Amino acid sequence: MFDVLPDQLPWWFVGPALGLLVVGLFSVANQPLGASGAFVQASGLLRRRPDVAVWRVWYFVGMFLGGLVVTQVLRDTNPLRTGYDPMAEVFSLPVMVVLIFAGATLLGYGAAVAGGCTSGHGLCGTSQRSLASLTMTGTFVVTAIIVSFILRALTGGDL
Amino acid sequence: MADKSKSTMNMVGIGFGAMFGGILAAGRLHEYETIHKSLVLEDLYVFYTMAAAIAVATPLLWLLERRHARTALAGPLTLSRSMPEKNHVVGGVLFGTGWAIAGTCPAPALVMVSSGAWLGLVAIGGIFLGLYLREVQTREPAAAGEGKRRGIPQVAHFGK
Repeated sequence: MFDVLPDQLPWWFVGPALGLLVVGLFSVANQPLGASGAFVQASGLLRRRPDVAVWRVWYFVGMFLGGLVVTQVLRDTNPLRTGYDPMAEVFSLPVMVVLIFAGATLLGYGAAVAGGCTSGHGLCGTSQRSLASLTMTGTFVVTAIIVSFILRALTGGDL
Repeated sequence: MADKSKSTMNMVGIGFGAMFGGILAAGRLHEYETIHKSLVLEDLYVFYTMAAAIAVATPLLWLLERRHARTALAGPLTLSRSMPEKNHVVGGVLFGTGWAIAGTCPAPALVMVSSGAWLGLVAIGGIFLGLYLREVQTREPAAAGEGKRRGIPQVAHFGK
């Protein structure tokens, strides 16, 4: 809307800001800045599970709203789009839907098995100097790089 | 837990969530392209960002822990550390594979949708399904954060 933010702030701003946010949530509420937990609680609320941490559902809503403010208000309005342009050059839409759904299911299941995701283990766990989180983070980063190159090879270098 | 502390915690939730989502969006970490380019090592933005975040948070948390800091709303700061177990490696391999294919993860997927990228909805649906499948398998909701945050239920510390 207002186009006051550049397309991408540099990593040396975004990274430390995320780090301070991790410290902030620990300092205020003794809680990790994890996202998969918020999905678990939001899912619990939708299914009327009795023991839901409601504040995590607000946190879930907050992530969406924060993204909305930055992408739609502070930047030039982002129109409706797939969001997967590089993939769209290689695959048709139905194939993309299947791939993205399968990939997301896999990562959701993996996050549940490991007890956290990029934020919970990758940022918060490692910052607490947890060897378990360091192991999980190293494993998923290396795996993702290998899988990305396998995908690239399978698509003849297109993806 | 008193109602007042619950509503305070809800505000903390939405506030920190919004800052988190906003910062991810500011770094375009919700874009498939950003993640994908990092994973094929063309532009290491994601890794630099993660490393910088950890480099800032680790010493600060270490200092707060050493000084036995009290949190604003939830008593003494309790960090948790666990030893690696098989589930961290297995989960890491599955998560990494999915991350590479879908090019997103739980928090960025939400921002993807607020940025107008509708395939983010497909990703969110998949994430919910994956977490649910594990819940069905183990008959308990997955734990968040570092390992299982053993002995630290989601909100038990709050309001003492």
